[in-house]
Amino acid sequence: MEAKQATTVKYDMDVVRWFTIAAIIYAVVGTLIGVYVASELAFPFLNFDIPEITFGRLRPLHTNAVIFAFGGCVLMATGFYIVQRTGATKLWSNTMAWFTFIGWNLIIVLAVITLPLGLSSGKEYAELPWWVDIMIAVVWLSYGFNYIMTIGIRKTSHIYVSNWFTMGMIVMITYLHVVNSLAIPVDMYTAYSIYSGVQDAMIQWWWGHNAVGFYLTGGFLGIMYYFIPKQSGRPVFSYRLSVLHFWTLTFGYVWLGAHHLQYTALPDWTGSLGAAVSLAMIIPSWGGAMNGMMTLSGAWDKLRTDYILRFLVTAMAFYAMSTFDGPVMAIKSVNALSHYTDWTVGHVHAGALGWMSMISFGALYHLVKKLWNTEMYSDKLVNIHFWIALIGAVTYIVAMWVSGIMQGLMWRDYDEYGTLTYTFVESVSAMHPYYVMRAVGGAIFNLGTWIMLFNVVMTIRQAGAVRGVNAVAARA
Amino acid sequence: MSDHDHIYSTKLQDKIERSTVLMFVFTAVAVAVGGIVEIVPLFYLPNTGMAGGDGTFNNTQHKDLQGNAIPMDKIVWNPTTSAHKTLADWQPGDGVRPYTALETAGRHVYIREGCFLCHSQMIRPFRDEKDRYGHYSIAEESMYDHTYQWGSKRTGPDLARLAGKYSDEWHRKHLKYPRDVVPESVMPNFFFLDKNPVDVVKTVKTMEVMTMMPFNPVPKTIYTDAYIAGAAKEIEGKTEMDAVIAYLQSLGNHVKFEEGVNYRD
Amino acid sequence: MSDNHNSAGGVPTTGHVWDDDLADYVNQPPKWWMLGLTASAVWVCLYFLMYPAVPMATSGTFFEGIGLPGTGKWTAIKELEGDQKILDDARSKWENKLKDMTPAAILADADLSEYVTRSGKVLFSDNCAACHGQNGVGTEQAGAKFAVREQGLMAPRLNDDDWLFGGKIDDIHTSIVGGRQGMMTGHKDSLSAQQIDDVAKYVKAMSEGNGDSEAAGKKVFAESDCTACHGADAKGVAAMGSANLTDKIWRFDGSLEGIKHTITYGVNSGDANARVAIMPNFTAGGKLSAVEMKKLAVYVYKFGGGQAEAPVAPVAVVAPEAASAVDAASAPAAK
Ligand code: HEC
Ligand code: HEC
Ligand code: HEC
Ligand code: HEM
Ligand code: HEM
Ligand SMILES: [Ca+2]
Ligand SMILES: [Ca+2]
Ligand SMILES: [Cu+2]
Repeated sequence: MEAKQATTVKYDMDVVRWFTIAAIIYAVVGTLIGVYVASELAFPFLNFDIPEITFGRLRPLHTNAVIFAFGGCVLMATGFYIVQRTGATKLWSNTMAWFTFIGWNLIIVLAVITLPLGLSSGKEYAELPWWVDIMIAVVWLSYGFNYIMTIGIRKTSHIYVSNWFTMGMIVMITYLHVVNSLAIPVDMYTAYSIYSGVQDAMIQWWWGHNAVGFYLTGGFLGIMYYFIPKQSGRPVFSYRLSVLHFWTLTFGYVWLGAHHLQYTALPDWTGSLGAAVSLAMIIPSWGGAMNGMMTLSGAWDKLRTDYILRFLVTAMAFYAMSTFDGPVMAIKSVNALSHYTDWTVGHVHAGALGWMSMISFGALYHLVKKLWNTEMYSDKLVNIHFWIALIGAVTYIVAMWVSGIMQGLMWRDYDEYGTLTYTFVESVSAMHPYYVMRAVGGAIFNLGTWIMLFNVVMTIRQAGAVRGVNAVAARA
Repeated sequence: MSDHDHIYSTKLQDKIERSTVLMFVFTAVAVAVGGIVEIVPLFYLPNTGMAGGDGTFNNTQHKDLQGNAIPMDKIVWNPTTSAHKTLADWQPGDGVRPYTALETAGRHVYIREGCFLCHSQMIRPFRDEKDRYGHYSIAEESMYDHTYQWGSKRTGPDLARLAGKYSDEWHRKHLKYPRDVVPESVMPNFFFLDKNPVDVVKTVKTMEVMTMMPFNPVPKTIYTDAYIAGAAKEIEGKTEMDAVIAYLQSLGNHVKFEEGVNYRD
Repeated sequence: MSDNHNSAGGVPTTGHVWDDDLADYVNQPPKWWMLGLTASAVWVCLYFLMYPAVPMATSGTFFEGIGLPGTGKWTAIKELEGDQKILDDARSKWENKLKDMTPAAILADADLSEYVTRSGKVLFSDNCAACHGQNGVGTEQAGAKFAVREQGLMAPRLNDDDWLFGGKIDDIHTSIVGGRQGMMTGHKDSLSAQQIDDVAKYVKAMSEGNGDSEAAGKKVFAESDCTACHGADAKGVAAMGSANLTDKIWRFDGSLEGIKHTITYGVNSGDANARVAIMPNFTAGGKLSAVEMKKLAVYVYKFGGGQAEAPVAPVAVVAPEAASAVDAASAPAAK
């Protein structure tokens, strides 16, 4: 039956190998830029009076590098890997997959050029110029179409849960990107959104939140559902839980965008919808976190020896944490304090460093071993990377939570005379120590990615000439 | 052979899991609903700053203290009814207006330099924000802001009501080297804006584009052909610094707010 | 086979297997999770009734929307009104008095001027310090390094007793309410380079107390239009905001070169090289309320440079009753 067929298929794994290598390099670069922008906020002289590297231009490069370069390549590497193996079939089109690889990396190169030059559409996470937006649409569709067609030609009767999530992501991101990017070009460099004010804000955060919800979360849950069972060698804890939390998340997450606009000039009902459904998303999110963790029940001992598993499981803990932090921030009265502050940034990186990066690192190590049919050059370094990443992430997150809450409290504090206690500038200088701490935490986290890069390079070199990967499949 | 065909969820769920098409269709529908419900009404409901075809702003009615609806002309500048007929003689308090040529050029710089990543332009209805920044922002105030600039982070203060708070001279000094005037600042030095001339062609094109927008375009009665034709001369020889300062000096003084009036609902 | 293939504790899998060994146990989701899911659904429904959550014209709740008496009537603006009231109540005790008092009267009242000083801090720092420096020490002293690129202050110091427009409480108030733009004509046409050089030397000498050493410059000063604005004694005329040239306090660059520049091009004279000195008008566009500007006048006055009308300068001491009033107010003001 299905299981047996899987072992005899020849997969298209070259493109996956390339996406894997790219992802690891982008992890180093993206977080390095992060460290730099963090340092600019701590020590403004680091802007060095060079327009191309001032905070305002480098920050979007950071977000694009980590989300689209690092995150994107992880999603595509794992996606093409999972869809083939869980469908016991080759890709629908290997050529198209290569087109996706080249196109996606071309887009990243263009981002690296255009963002420092100040080409920005002024929308967070959608800064790239209009003609690059068109390329993104084309390349994304090539990925999505190929992916869905590959599901279509699968040999298994049922579609594996990972692919449900990835399919959800593919559809949603297409909607979001197309609708949010509609703009009228002025010239090759500049275009202005066809929406304005209230409508533009709502559409931007419909995009902004769901880029997070379906791309940084849905897509990575797909990764979780393959790599945790694989790495631990145990079935998914509960099929029914998968079904329930998949549909609740898929339907519910879409409503959350409005929580980015609490108390703004939008009608109150939008914020209310955002807040209500946000809180309702804790349980569905935790469903995913639990299904991942409980999959290890009875195999917890593996954590002592299996460092890759440590990444994967820690990621689920951070996922559970940031999907609690987020809903709390969505409540009107809490958002009144947290909005505009570093609390948001802390929340972002709890998700980005703790969840999205950790699960990626685990998956990438697993992939490297399978794709090059070898053991890691050094398991010890994997373990060191794990601890460094953990320390770095926690340092970063704690710093931002403290500074964020402090900021919010200082801005609204009234003295006994009923007059504001702190000037804005006082809040700026109060943030300094935390900005330094954030930069340090980030640097630590970034160090970890260098270790991973080194370890992987050595592993691949030791693996030598790569042999047909179907042999690997057999030993899966 | 085992309970392979036993269904542990529902028949429908099992059907979906067996069919690529069904899985695609069901997710495609599931993820569409929330967005439609939250976004579409903002295009036809009042209090969303959407001019609408007839300019009644979908029947937006802000009630004054006597409970009478304030004419929208008082909130959004309408050259035909206003005492001041052109952008040139528009006065603060005449109501929301689109940007002048120089401000348009400045707004481009504002976006290009990523100011919006550190500065919000959205004052929320809180007492502390009122004390610190001024009257809460209202939908109409950003109706001409194609690519809204509300921001999501306040590394620096809100700028929504900055107009006239400082002198141009101060802005010039501050933007060039913020730490000269505010030692604690973490804002980058934007001295180079003083050296760049404004992009005249881009600016004029931008104004034309703004009149072509499908939603809340700038009325031809404001960006008249004459005005757009004259725009080039208006900004000739100006620097990007002049432009961004002009933009900053135009923020938040358009509407004359009355105490105690609810401008949101 | 595949069903018990890797089932633990007797729990079977769904029987579907992917990629050799991927399978799903048929475990039920935990009880608490199912309960939580139901609770979440209930929660959403409740929230919809309590808060405006239905895409409708009014920001009312669902019940209000369909004309029934609403359960909750929350709107962002109503919340603001509530919070604002708490604040106003805390302040009213002082604010009510301030409304129709003159800055001078406020200054004379110990309790009030204490209150005003407190509320002045953020007002001044968020609106004025940008130019006048924290506590009016001037941007130079605040740690800025104009010296590197540019001499002089962004705006006059407000903590010394050297005033361009006068240091009486009412002068200060006027400066804030109306803004200031002292104007000094440039002299590049009216005076020769030589004359400018001389008069600059004279002005510099004056500030060092030995003006008479510069006979030539002294002559120019007397015969040119300088005295018209700076007065025969060169001590400045508050009405015009002209500077006192006999002291060591320099608003702009006090070096000989700097002085020559000021004289040549003037101040706010419209000349491209002129010194610029613009104090914004804080009444325009209602940037600050009348009361806020009164507060600031007192606040600035109390930096120490304020000049008394009468010989006795009113000193502010927190009277005991004021102190207790403080505690009384603290409860409601704290958010
Ligand atoms: C790295 C973050 C950052 C960036 C980018 C940035 N600013 Fe700032 N900005 C600040 C901080 C912090 C302050 C508060 C301290 C000060 O006044 O300099 C500030 C203050 C200001 C102020 C004074 C506001 C007030 O009411 O006192 C203005 C005006 C301003 N910025 C304009 C801009 C413009 C225009 C740009 C883009 C060209 C920009 N800023 C980019 C951080 C930033
Ligand atoms: C944009 C910069 C700027 C800001 C902001 C500013 N000032 Fe001034 N202020 C000046 C300048 C410049 C002068 C001197 C005007 C002149 O020399 O003609 C001045 C003069 C004054 C004077 C008269 C000083 C004298 O010697 O007579 C007072 C008092 C004063 N400012 C108070 C304030 C207060 C209070 C605020 C805040 C509400 C404020 N200023 C905000 C620039 C500023
Ligand atoms: C039209 C009136 C006017 C005339 C005429 C005039 N001044 Fe002035 N002068 C001013 C004002 C007003 C200021 C203060 C500018 C400010 O700080 O806003 C000033 C400032 C100065 C300063 C700078 C003082 C400082 O603290 O930096 C110098 C030096 C000076 N005047 C010298 C002269 C000399 C010498 C002449 C004659 C050749 C002259 N002024 C003629 C109005 C005048
Ligand atoms: C070394 C690790 C990292 C460091 C030091 C770092 C640093 C930063 C800094 C300084 C900012 C700007 C915050 C501000 O404006 O105040 C930022 C923003 C952001 N970063 Fe990172 N970052 C790191 C890793 C990542 C990763 C791996 C992701 C993956 C998604 C990520 C996603 C983001 C996002 C989405 C924002 C925008 C947040 C917002 O606008 O609220 N970062 N980061
Ligand atoms: C149920 C889950 C979640 C909810 C309800 C939620 C809610 C929120 C809220 C309320 C904000 C602040 C909005 C504001 O005040 O500006 C926010 C910001 C953000 N969240 Fe989440 N969050 C969730 C999960 C996540 C996860 C898992 C990530 C992973 C990366 C993430 C990434 C972000 C980012 C990038 C931002 C910053 C957006 C900006 O630029 O302002 N969120 N989220
Ligand atoms: Ca943001
Ligand atoms: Ca003097
Ligand atoms: Cu969100």
